[in-house]
Amino acid sequence: MDVLNLFQGIGTMFAQPANIAIARIALILLGIFMVYLGKKEILEPLIMIPMGFGMSAVNAGVLFLSATKTGTIFNDPLMSDTAGLMNILQINWLQPIYTFTFSNGLIACLVFMGIGVISDIGNVLRYPFASMLIAMCAELGSVATFPIAHAMGLSYGQAAAVSIIGGADGPMVLYTSLILAKDLFVPITIVAYLYLSLTYGGYPFLIRLLIPKDIRAIVVKTTKKDDITSGEKLAFAVIANTLLCLLFPVAAPLFVSFFLGIAIRESGMTKYIKLIEENFLYGATFFLGLMLGVLCEASTILNPTVLTLLILGMVALLLSGIGGIIGGYIVYFINGKNFNPTIGIAGVSCVPTTAKVAQKEVHNVNKYSFILQFAMGANICGVITTAILTGIYVTMIPLLK
Amino acid sequence: MSESIFIALQVYGLGFVIAMSMAVIIKVMLYLIRHFSKKATKIN
Repeated sequence: MDVLNLFQGIGTMFAQPANIAIARIALILLGIFMVYLGKKEILEPLIMIPMGFGMSAVNAGVLFLSATKTGTIFNDPLMSDTAGLMNILQINWLQPIYTFTFSNGLIACLVFMGIGVISDIGNVLRYPFASMLIAMCAELGSVATFPIAHAMGLSYGQAAAVSIIGGADGPMVLYTSLILAKDLFVPITIVAYLYLSLTYGGYPFLIRLLIPKDIRAIVVKTTKKDDITSGEKLAFAVIANTLLCLLFPVAAPLFVSFFLGIAIRESGMTKYIKLIEENFLYGATFFLGLMLGVLCEASTILNPTVLTLLILGMVALLLSGIGGIIGGYIVYFINGKNFNPTIGIAGVSCVPTTAKVAQKEVHNVNKYSFILQFAMGANICGVITTAILTGIYVTMIPLLK
Repeated sequence: MSESIFIALQVYGLGFVIAMSMAVIIKVMLYLIRHFSKKATKIN
């Protein structure tokens, strides 16, 4: 018996081109390393552990589909014709998840609904101008990366999809790339999630570099005792959702998911809250991570543009971080220096990571400075502004073609 | 290149206007809700 035919995961390595075989081994090792980094909480474990697991498994589990063709029985993201899809749905075990939740953006919307349910918009309503201003400044990367990406050879759609990484919101990147750059959505989404996990480790250095210790230690004095009722929050969710859906119907699924999450939270429907938070959010995040890992098959990921995307993703998040801190400084000067510019980093909408980073950095220099409420306001506004920019991109870019 | 910069500026400008309009809407909405809920309390 031919041993390489018996152990096909190994046998296929000899049948494939050398670069694919080497990439497979590298991705298997990378997957295992990602699980380790997730376990150590250096990268976000909720995404990284299933993603790393999927990545190592899909690159190991390659088999001979015919005498000349190799593949897996995990998932085929490139299958588009109806007959082939119906056939493959009965073979590939993750194909139903991909076809029915991934390729139509449903999984992004479920995650977004979960984010809505865990978001308290009280601080957005309490400090709307400062929060929105900071959040818009923190979108610097989402727009400044666009011309850079185009100059590096990406199409407008691809440039917009990679620029949205600057918004630091995974579901938004997934949604934009599915609509505007379907051919690159796998590498763009993977780059986005890899970098989003790194914000927790990278942004503290940016804060320390751009904000002197004495300014970081500022205690924000507030005399405002403004209780926002759940009815007011609910009213805002309904009005904002309706207005944004009116303006950008293409991004309506995202808006509806987020604001519906908020509406359910503020309506106090505990059974729905529990359902969305414990089942939808964690279920969707788990399958998102696993599916992203499975999509990292060597033959799919070996795309010459991946290096460009890695650079652009980094540029987008760096610019957004800098923009957020600039926004923090603007509010600091407008408020007569009664504001902590560190809050600016929370405008980058990686809920609630960047708000926690801001509070932690402030706490390190002054134990009596509590900025979390302002940071959460900017953080939630960051989600809203990223959704707005996503809406503008997905509406505007197809009109340019 | 200049066209892509122009597109980026358009996206940012439009986004900025919408975001700040939402801040205005929040203020107006809170004012109206509180104004009318006060009136309702007085009538009761």
